[in-house]
Amino acid sequence: MNVQFKKGVLELCVLVVLCRRDYYGYELVHTISENIDIAEGTIYPLLRRLTKEGYFTTYLRESGEGPSRKYYQITDKGQTYKEQLLTEWNHFVSSVGNLIREEATA
Amino acid sequence: MNKEQFLSQLRRSLSGIPEEEKKEILYDYEEHFSSGLENGQEEEEIARSLGNPRVLGKSYRIESLLDEQRGGHRASNILRAVFASLSLGFFNVIITIPLFAGLFGVLAGLWAGAVSLAVSGVAVLVGLMLQPLFPAFIGLGGLSIPFLIFAGIGISALGLLSVIGMWKLSQLFFRMTARYVQFNLRIIKKQEVRA
Repeated sequence: MNVQFKKGVLELCVLVVLCRRDYYGYELVHTISENIDIAEGTIYPLLRRLTKEGYFTTYLRESGEGPSRKYYQITDKGQTYKEQLLTEWNHFVSSVGNLIREEATA
Repeated sequence: MNKEQFLSQLRRSLSGIPEEEKKEILYDYEEHFSSGLENGQEEEEIARSLGNPRVLGKSYRIESLLDEQRGGHRASNILRAVFASLSLGFFNVIITIPLFAGLFGVLAGLWAGAVSLAVSGVAVLVGLMLQPLFPAFIGLGGLSIPFLIFAGIGISALGLLSVIGMWKLSQLFFRMTARYVQFNLRIIKKQEVRA
């Protein structure tokens, strides 16, 4: 899959996953990379940007060993943004689906 | 690549990003490594699945540049610029201006010396030419005329050389001053540009 395309989709994936519950970086990265093949490191710049734009807030929580974990929590603004992206995504997918079906029946 | 190598490559490719932000970015990856190790992954394996640290660094740098353009002059930046120019101003008042004034004084003194040398040389020659007309006012002081002619020429030449030398020296002085002022301006501007 095209890299730019993946990056756009990745944003939606991060938003969707964080709608379920709060995740810390490693956990979130793994949840996503289990489904999508991408360089895992690219999720952190994305998280940072979306946090800066106010879609997520972060908080630290102690873990057993090692440094405390930074958890990401979606904000109301993030929820709205996710809904908007999801609508766009569904529209896009159905349009592509229609096109493919038309080609197949033509 | 192990954790240390990955982090140092990333740190290097984050150049230009403010220090505090750099720390935050690196913290995310350190946390990722330690979580991975807790999960029984090897450092090399974690680094490999994270991807190329230089590419990651680039995406942070681009993001940081975009931020600068979006954010424009945030209050904290302007405050920082003001602080920078104030502390620079303090340094200038205490050290640079006295130094500048001192050097300027030395330069002015040397100029006066060079000019008076040249003028006195010329005066000797002019005096020699006028002496036959005003013998009552101009005495030769018991010195021979050829000696006075050569002395006059010599002193004039020496004075002229000094003036030329001073000219060069002054140019250097003003060039350095201009460069110092530019250096000051650059520091202030740099503070303003930072995100």
